[in-house]
This record gives sequence, structure tokens and C-alpha cells, in this order.
Amino acid sequence: MTDEAAVMLRVSAFGFVAGAIYWFLSYEWLGTVALLLLGAGPGFAGLILVHEQRQRGGAAESRANTLRRFAGFPPRDPEGPDDLEAEDLGVLPLPTIWPFAAGLGVAILLTGLIYGLWLVVLGAGICAYATWGWLAAVNRENRYGRVMADTRPSSPAAAPAEATGPTPAAAARDPAEEPPQRPGRRRGRGRGRSGPADG
Amino acid sequence: MAAGCAPRSVTEQGRAIEGAYNLFLYVAAVVFALVSGLVVWSVVRYRRRGDELPEQTHGHNTLELLWTLIPTVIVLGLFWVTLQAQDEVQTPASRPALTVDATAFQWSWRFRYEDSGAEVAGGPGNIPELVVPVGQPVRVRLRSADVVHSFYVPQALFKRQAIPGVTNEFDLTFEKVGIYHGQCTQFCGLAHADMMFRVRVVSQGEFQSWMASATRSGAPGQPGT
Amino acid sequence: MASTTDLPLPALPEAQPEKPAGIVDWVTTVDHKKIGILYIVTSFAIFLVGGFLALLVRTELARPGLQTMGLNTYNQVFSMHGTLMIFLFAAQVSTGLANFLVPLQIGAADVAFPRANAMSYWLYLFGSLIVLSSFFVAGGPAAAGWTAYPPLSTSYLQGTGMDLWVIGLAVVGIAGILGAVNLVTTIFRLRVPGMTMFRMPLFTWGVLVNQLLILFAFPALTATLAMLLLDRKFGADFFEAAVGGSQVLYQHIFWFFGHPEVYIIILPIFGVISEVIPVFARKPLFGYRAMVFAFFAIAALSFGVWAHHMFTTGVVYLPYFSLMSLLIAVPTGVKVFNWIGTMWRGSIRFTPAMLMAMGFILVFVVGGITGVFLASPPIDFAVNDTYYVVAHFHYIMVGGLLFGMFAAFYFWFPKLTGRRLSERLGHWQFWTFLIGFNLTFFVQFLVGLDGMPRRIADYQITRWTSANEVSTVGSYLLGVSVLLFLWDFLMSVRRGRPAGDDPWEGNSLEWVTTSPPPHHNFHHIPPIHSERPAFDRRHGEELAGVSDPESKDRG
Repeated sequence: MTDEAAVMLRVSAFGFVAGAIYWFLSYEWLGTVALLLLGAGPGFAGLILVHEQRQRGGAAESRANTLRRFAGFPPRDPEGPDDLEAEDLGVLPLPTIWPFAAGLGVAILLTGLIYGLWLVVLGAGICAYATWGWLAAVNRENRYGRVMADTRPSSPAAAPAEATGPTPAAAARDPAEEPPQRPGRRRGRGRGRSGPADG
Repeated sequence: MAAGCAPRSVTEQGRAIEGAYNLFLYVAAVVFALVSGLVVWSVVRYRRRGDELPEQTHGHNTLELLWTLIPTVIVLGLFWVTLQAQDEVQTPASRPALTVDATAFQWSWRFRYEDSGAEVAGGPGNIPELVVPVGQPVRVRLRSADVVHSFYVPQALFKRQAIPGVTNEFDLTFEKVGIYHGQCTQFCGLAHADMMFRVRVVSQGEFQSWMASATRSGAPGQPGT
Repeated sequence: MASTTDLPLPALPEAQPEKPAGIVDWVTTVDHKKIGILYIVTSFAIFLVGGFLALLVRTELARPGLQTMGLNTYNQVFSMHGTLMIFLFAAQVSTGLANFLVPLQIGAADVAFPRANAMSYWLYLFGSLIVLSSFFVAGGPAAAGWTAYPPLSTSYLQGTGMDLWVIGLAVVGIAGILGAVNLVTTIFRLRVPGMTMFRMPLFTWGVLVNQLLILFAFPALTATLAMLLLDRKFGADFFEAAVGGSQVLYQHIFWFFGHPEVYIIILPIFGVISEVIPVFARKPLFGYRAMVFAFFAIAALSFGVWAHHMFTTGVVYLPYFSLMSLLIAVPTGVKVFNWIGTMWRGSIRFTPAMLMAMGFILVFVVGGITGVFLASPPIDFAVNDTYYVVAHFHYIMVGGLLFGMFAAFYFWFPKLTGRRLSERLGHWQFWTFLIGFNLTFFVQFLVGLDGMPRRIADYQITRWTSANEVSTVGSYLLGVSVLLFLWDFLMSVRRGRPAGDDPWEGNSLEWVTTSPPPHHNFHHIPPIHSERPAFDRRHGEELAGVSDPESKDRG
């Protein structure tokens, strides 16, 4: 399992154990159910993470190491070349009004529960519009695809620039220019091609 | 105000709480002195004196184990003390001398003596007085007529919530004659701050005569101060 | 040709047709740094309102007799004070810091879901506005305490104020859950390679645990609020005993959320202290792994203690909750000892941030110790619902949270703004805060032990007056201290000395980049071999291998 899965599974184990002990001590329903749910929720998440790691073809681990990881003492990972393939730092979303609009819609919708159906409908309408706009924005920006990390080492003495603007290196990489594609490696959403900047 | 540091109980049940509290206080004082002493010592002794990096220790397994195990043991000890005290506070008397039905309502109290049917009820500006005999276990059956209240007698070191739909029973054995302040301590609305009562602990003889006259005439609450 | 050293950044669509400016910039931002600042500013503004309400409470309570306001107004004032502080300020100021810092600390360009991150903030703002709007409706704001027990809050308090309270908090709760999904995913998925979980900075660990707590506890709050609303407006009777409901049901569900909530508030602060002390003591955090385990132990136990708020109901199984509550002192104590261990044989520099961290330890220990008293049901029978409890939780919430918050502000203000706060004003602010705080709250232990109940507008027992007067004077001093900070902040934001990338010789990754960081956070990221990448980069070959927490310099 991964360390992240171990975190979730530890919480889950606590929930189940505490819930069972609590039930037999108190026979109180609510606390027991709440604790068992505390076991079930993160447990589910943890199992998904384990399953996903298997699907990704994670290296098989000895039983002893799995237990150690579960206990919070993961084995020392070998200090190999850092996996820069995973370095899909990706494209940051453009500024957008839709989160604001969606938040407003939800707030209005819920306030309508006090003031009347008309306000609920108004809120729902704003939510729907915001959802539409949000999805459209995501779709539009996905057409950029994922930009692969440039793995050529920069100069070892490169100190962080004082300027907060884009570095000359970044400016030199024109988004319209197709970066070299790694054979067989395409991750993330979208079609993996960079396209012209969209307004 | 210094009395606040070591609470004293006027009930038999509350004595157990006194003991537990004092033990906890000693442990707390020691822990606080230790921790603050270490902090002050570090602050004084380890001020920056140069540019040299100090030794970069990451931890100390034995020490960390010790300061996990020792507090655990202390805490388990405190738990054991707690269980003892709790037993003494909560164990119902085998034969209570009398039973009082106490009803909390917005914003006063009604006390009805079960055997005789005598009743004391408070109201606005009218603080009800619960009269009980000294040295005898009094069983209180606590109910609420509306919202959640709490029956609190500070000098008995005791309180219990009055919850609508729940009847809470507890015993109080007052050991000293006197008048003890009582107050609602679960926020219950507008005049929560005014929802007071008193417990008047009297000798057995006085209690009998009070009870006799109360049953005859239906004693009202005492006028409030 | 993969490089194992510096990690250059991909190109980003910096070429935008027009860069939004001013208010449009803030309303449309999806940048975690801006969103973090929005959270901090909004929550601090709410803190000021809540603090003002506290001053009103203290002014009224200084002497017996109702001098400044009527009973109902007082009840509204203390209820809203608690509501604003606990629901709308305490958790969100840490969320703001987390938003800004976590991606920087783990070497990511932003959080996992930047647009949803923005939505979380707007939900928080709108929810807070809904709650605040209750001041302006007929009947005024809610007056059932921040705990809103029914039937008081369902059948007895009519008026829109209480409804707005419920709805506003529901919206804020949604914001919290959404944000938690975001931050947990960010921490799980977006760490730079080389940063295994056990090389993350402690602040990030604190945020991870805090967000997991939010994820698992807030749904209980949402359920509670939904049931309150259904009882109030839609004819339900979840909590009406007379028709088969249960008041105690509310207490259970509310506190199943309510207790983790207070740990939600304090855990990131533990993370802050765990960052500040190692930097100013110039030593690594003592017992890194134990600190991580302590976080989890505290979080787990916090789900097992809820009914210690219900000891006086007479209907809960006391020993279970007493034991769990007592046990939670152990990992908390471990943390305190580890902080002291970090300072021990260190080389300590007393910047305002470090002073605040010291103040935190002293004051938090008092709060924690008094919590141990409350964990014992018999003692709780005596002191629950009195000013003893009020003092206990203010030692944690004001002592712990605020000292930690100020430590965080003094520490990270340079990174957020590129400027420094005034060192001199910081010292003044620290001392006024420490003195004001203890004056305000220590006497409350005494008067609580003497029997003064909480949530009362007035009292007639005159021997309580002197303590209350002292407490009120202390609270004014606290107000002065906060204003001092505000003044310092406003002056320094525009005119403070430029800070540079790394004014404190920090340990974690955010100190590697500029102050404030560029849009995409890093121009390059050094390799990660320990939990102190910035330290390693500074000391490089000189201390090769020393930064390894697995190394043999452990007894």
C-alpha cells in the first residue's frame, strides 16, 4: 500500500475498533453508528487507494513491509532517480468567475429555505448557469492538454530570480510550440497536445 | 476567592469530588512547574550566542518512550481515582429519607415532596427554597417542563441537567445546616441568569415542623432578595 | 537524460489577452495564494467583530447589575461571539494559512482543484454574510449559544435570526468539506518527488490531519443543522421528546462534530509551532515521527471523546469518555515535550514569532491541564457550565489559537507580502497580549470554582465582582494588543522593510522561493532528502547526511 492509503486505513481501523468497544460498553446507538461510519468512510477511501496502486502496477511489497507501512514505519525507499515522469505539473486554470457564481448560487438556494421557493428557484438557476459556465471553461482549457515537464537540468548555480514575473526561460517556451513528446507516456486529461492560447 | 482553589463540599457525595480534585491539582501543579521550568530554563540557557549551528539532534528514542509511557501511567492513575470518586458520587442511597420531584421550567423551579405532596414553586422575583433535613439522603427526581436546564448547587459540587423527556435521579446528603445557593447553569433562554433557587438544610426537628406546616398551608416560594 | 537535481518548471499560458486588475482580479482568482489571503483577511475581520462582542460581554459583566444592555441583547451578544469565533474565524484563519502555504511546502504549483478552492472561499464568505445578516433582521441574531440546543433553538426562539444562523453555518460547512477534499487530495497527490510523506513539513501534516477531521466531522454538523431547520420550519420533531423525539440525540450528534471541531481549530496551530521553534532554535524538530503519530493519536481520540460535554446529562456511559479524554492528554503532552526538546541545546533567537511560540506553550499547557480536570466526571459535575470551563477553553482557543496565529503571522508575513513586520511593535504586542490574556482568563478559573455559572447576563453574588473587574480590564488590554497588531500589519504591508526570500533561515520549501512567490510558485525546486529542504540547500555539503531523521544520532 502507499503511505496515503496507510493513513486512511489507520483511521478506519480506529473507527471500527473504537466503535466495537463502545457498543459493548454502552449499548448506545448513535455513538456506535457514528464511530462505525468513521471506520467505513476512510476505509473505503483507503481500499480505493490500494486498488488504484495495484492497477498502476506498483511494486509488490512484502507482507512485513506492508504491515510496517500500515503502522507508520514505512521502509526506506531507495534513493533512486526522482521520477520526473510524474512531474506533470500541469497547466494552472485561468482566472474565472464561475466559482464565485456557483458559491453565490448555493448560498441563495439555501437561504431560499427560509424565505420561500422563489428564492430556491433563483439560486438553483444561478447554480445551473454557473455549472454550465464552469464546465465550458474546463473544456476550453483542457484543449491545451497537459504540458510535459522539461527535464533538462537548469544551470546548477541558478539562484531564484528576485523578479516575480515569468523567467526568460519560461517566456522562451512559446505555448504554441510543441514540446518533445515522450514515447508512450501521456498522462492526465485532455488530448496531450498543446494548442494556441485561448482567450 | 482563595476558597476557589480548593473547593469544599457540604454534601457527603461531594467529599469524593474534593479528594479527586485535590489530587488532580497536585499532579497538575507538578506538571505545570516542570514544563514551565523547562521552558524558562531553555529560554535563559540556550539564547543565541553566536553563529554556530547547535548539534542537530533529531530525537532520542528512550527519552521519547519514557515521556510517552510515564504520562500514560499517570493518566491511567487519574482514571482509577476518577472511577472511585464517581462511584461514591453516583451510588444511590439504599433508603433515601425523602424524595423530591424537582421540575425546572423557564425561569424558575418547582419542588414537590413526594410523600406529603407539599410543593414549593418559584416565579419571577420569587426564589424557591428547597428545605431538606441535615444528614439524610434526599433523592431528587429532576425533570424539565420545557427546555434543557441544569440543577446546580455550587457548594454541593454537583449539577445535573434537566432534559425534556428524561428523568434524572440523584441523591444528595447534606452534612451541614445552612442555606446554599443554587442556580440553573444550562443556558435556557431570556432570564437564564435569574433562574435561582436555594437549598435550606435544617435539623431533623425543624424539618418535621416545616413539613407539617407546608403540607397544611401549601408553602409558596420565599420572596426573592 | 532525466535530471535528479533541479526541477525546471513547465511553460504556462502566461500570455493572456488582458490581465484582470483590481477587484476583478480578486473575484476571479483561482490562485491558492490569493485565496489564502482572502481567507485570512475575511476571517480576521470576523475576528475583530467577534472580539468586539467579547468586549461588550466583559463590559457588562464587570459589575453586578445590567448596566449596558438588556437580557435578550446579552444573550444574543454572547451567542454570536461564540458563533463568529468558533465557526467563522478559528478554523478559517488556519485554512487561509494552509491554502497559501501547503502547495509551497510540498513543491506544487497550486492545490489539486484550484477552481473548487475558489468556490470554497466564496461559500465561506457568503455563509458568513448570511450569519452576520442576522444582526439586521427583526428580532436580531440567534440567542441560543453557539451550541444551539433544542428545544430552545427549535421551538422557543422564533424569528429569522436563528434561521439565518442555521443556513449560514450550513453554507460554511459545505465550504469546509469542499476545501477538505481539495487539501487532502493536494497533500496526497501533488507532492514533489522525493518528498515522501515522512519528509513533509509538520505544518503540512497538521493541515492534513485537520482536513481529515473536517472531512469526517463536518457532515455531522450538516446533519445537525438540517435537522434543526426541519424542526424549526418544516414540522419535523427530531428533538421533541413529547412526540417521540430526543433532545439527547442532538447533544450526541452535535458533539460528535463539536469535539473534533476544537481539534480542527488547534491542530494546524500545533503545526505552526512545530515550524517556528525549529527555525529559531536552529535545530531540527525533536522527534519528527512521534509528532506525526501524536497528530494522528489526537485526531483519532478526538472522535472518541464527544460525550465529555455531556457528563452532566446523566445518560451517557461515563467511563469510556473519561478514559478517552484523559488519554488524549498523552499525545498532546508528547508534543509539548518535543517542542521543549527542540529548544534544548538550541541557539534561540527571540523574534516576535518565537516569543509567541513560547507564550503558546505556557498558556496552552494551562489550558490542557485544566482539560484533564474536566475529563473526570466527578470533577466535571462540580465545574461544568461554570466559568472554569470558560477559562479552560479560552486558554486553548485564545491562548493556544491566538498565540499560534500570531506566531504564524509574524513568521510568514514576509513570505506572503515580501515585507517585514516591525520587530519592536511585535515585542510590545507580545507582552500586552500575554499580560492581558492572563489577567482576563486566569481569574475566571477561580470564580468558576466558586460557582459562577456561564452564559449569565448578570450575577448578584458580590464577592465575584473583583475578579470580574480584573477580567474586564484584562480584556481591554487584549483589545489594545490586537489593535497594535492591526496597526503594525497595515503599516508594514505597504511600508515594511523588504524581506527577501528567506529572512529567518527557514527549513521548509516555501523559503526557497521568492517573497511573495511567483504565480507558479517556484522557479526551481531543490532535491528533497529530508524534512528540511531549505536548510539542506543552505548547508549543503557541510552537513551531508546530518539531516537524515533516520540517522544514528538518536539515543
